[in-house]
Amino acid sequence: MRKFLAIAVCKLGRAVGKLIGKGSSLPGKFALKICPDILRRVELPQHIIAVTGSNGKTSTVEMIAAVLRADGKTVVYNEEGSNQIEGVATLVLTHASLGGRVRADVLLIESDERYAAHTFQFFHPTEFVITNLYRDQLTRNGHPEWVYDSILPALHPDTELILNADDPLSSCFARGREKVKWFGLDRCSVSTDAPTGVYHDGAYCPVCHAPMEYGYVHYNHIGAYRCTKCGHKKPATDYTVTAVDLENAVVTVDGGVEIALAFRSIYNIYNILAAYAACRECGVPSETAAAVLSRYLLKNGRMQTFRLGAHHGTLLTSKHENSIAYDTNLRYIAASEKDCVVLVIVDAVSRKYFTSETSWLWDIDFGQLGAPQVKRVVLAGRYCNDLAERFSYTDLENWSVEPDVAAAAAELKSSGDEELFVVTCFSDRDKILSRVEREA
Amino acid sequence: MDVRIIHFYPGLMDLYGSRANVLALKRYLERLDCGVAVEEVLPGGGADISRGDFFYMGAGTERAARAAMEDFARYAEPLKAAAQDCAAMFFAGTAMDLAGKTIKEADGSSYEGLGLAAYTTQHGKRRIVGDVYGRTDLYPEAVVGFMNKCGVVTGVETPLLTGLDLGFGNEKERGPEGFHWKNVFASQLTGPLLVKNPKLLETVAAAIYARRGKTLPVDRPVDRWAQAAYAVTEEQLRARAK
Repeated sequence: MRKFLAIAVCKLGRAVGKLIGKGSSLPGKFALKICPDILRRVELPQHIIAVTGSNGKTSTVEMIAAVLRADGKTVVYNEEGSNQIEGVATLVLTHASLGGRVRADVLLIESDERYAAHTFQFFHPTEFVITNLYRDQLTRNGHPEWVYDSILPALHPDTELILNADDPLSSCFARGREKVKWFGLDRCSVSTDAPTGVYHDGAYCPVCHAPMEYGYVHYNHIGAYRCTKCGHKKPATDYTVTAVDLENAVVTVDGGVEIALAFRSIYNIYNILAAYAACRECGVPSETAAAVLSRYLLKNGRMQTFRLGAHHGTLLTSKHENSIAYDTNLRYIAASEKDCVVLVIVDAVSRKYFTSETSWLWDIDFGQLGAPQVKRVVLAGRYCNDLAERFSYTDLENWSVEPDVAAAAAELKSSGDEELFVVTCFSDRDKILSRVEREA
Repeated sequence: MDVRIIHFYPGLMDLYGSRANVLALKRYLERLDCGVAVEEVLPGGGADISRGDFFYMGAGTERAARAAMEDFARYAEPLKAAAQDCAAMFFAGTAMDLAGKTIKEADGSSYEGLGLAAYTTQHGKRRIVGDVYGRTDLYPEAVVGFMNKCGVVTGVETPLLTGLDLGFGNEKERGPEGFHWKNVFASQLTGPLLVKNPKLLETVAAAIYARRGKTLPVDRPVDRWAQAAYAVTEEQLRARAK
């Protein structure tokens, strides 16, 4: 009876929530109050794919869903991003019959990395994709090893792990396990010989803390690592990007499958590869996966184009408190060819909680904006002075400060016609998007 | 004046902009016309403590801190002697734990710290995170920062921050935070504390000068961006504390 009631309340709450534009986690919260183990009592699909990690969860999940659907599978997933247990409960129960049977071939779950163990206490995924573990949201996550320890209890022995071979920390999840598939990039056109960035989280082995060496690096500390003491190293990969041609925006997977890139970012390549690996593990033919992933345009709005005065603009959503997200987008700007201006906004550090914490700015390699086509950089928002202080420790000289985002936008609108890149977070992006003409 | 900064384990103990404390101090001293050399000490490397004017270690993960301590232990006696001789030192984040007597891990194991002070850190399974707004006896201005730790520190008799209006201190909410004795400064607050608090940066520089029998010049460098950033954060956190 409690099971039936929990499902009914969740469905009703979801329906009402949709009418008022809210409610992707609240209905599940109510359901869990009525029946705390409801997620154990429902009949779940044969395939349950979970995706977690510091970066790329939402994009990877969206692409997995698109591929699986193209392969004829019915997929339910938390599109609205509610990725803690309440959101997962809403997702599952909304798509369940009143008897508790989830009507789908695949249940696909984006899971918050800190709360994965909580979410998967009542059931476990058949496949678990872990994209990476980086410094991210220190104001709630502590640090990457702390998050690693949080995820570990979520990994059931029967679950197949799909891991990033190039990440020295998240690859440790494979220790002592047999059911592991690896994805990663061979040395390719984007590789460097040594780690990049202003700090080096791959300097020491996550297993024994001895110094590590790198054969090549794709970005920051992600690449072919090898511990000089305990032998922890990049494993052989099952799904591999064997060539990257950024000029023609195409990657080659496993030596023969070509996937065209809608967005020429190393991040995008990893997300595509993670999605490809997960779908292949679910039996999707490589041709189907490649066809869907080719030129796949993400619907999550993390990259948007617009016009501001004579500027053509691109918003590069970069999570505050996540230096690698920033570094990757700055790398994208540094690799662009046209003259450009860059607007960096830090106004609200988080959209979810209050904090004035800006230590993470010191982990970002803003020096990448020293590329000759970057004509000037404008620093805006409440924490523009913290940005300015950080910039004062770089070699950059072509930057200015405008605390008010609206004033910064107005100034940019009235001057220049270069490409405009806006680098900011979800918490701040509407402050600029509300002042531009968005492109379709 | 020539100043030698000895920076312990910059690759291992470098969470969340910890190295910025060294950058800020170096630039401040250089603007005072000091010649500044920074010597980075790696695990297994070596350092002549007697040649140092300022000793620094930043924050690391709990596991990194334990690994660092395996090497750091051999500097215990010369660093204690230097501290007794009023050498300036700053231990940030988990490095503060290492300056104390004992570190007890969440799994029940423990290891010895440097023993510069008698306090003990007990790591737990709960992450303590949040903004901090506090006071120090060293100067009138408030200290701002961010706490990100899993350890409770007991046994500190001379804290760096004598009281907090916001945030978690050594062992309790709004309790004293950090450690200060002679010219040894330690705080579990995360990241670039000397950047966020220009007055604390000046205080540390004054400590370096004092050991040489000098005082800071009357005309001192002012970092306008750091000052402006401090003003915004101080205002935000003061309002929050109320």
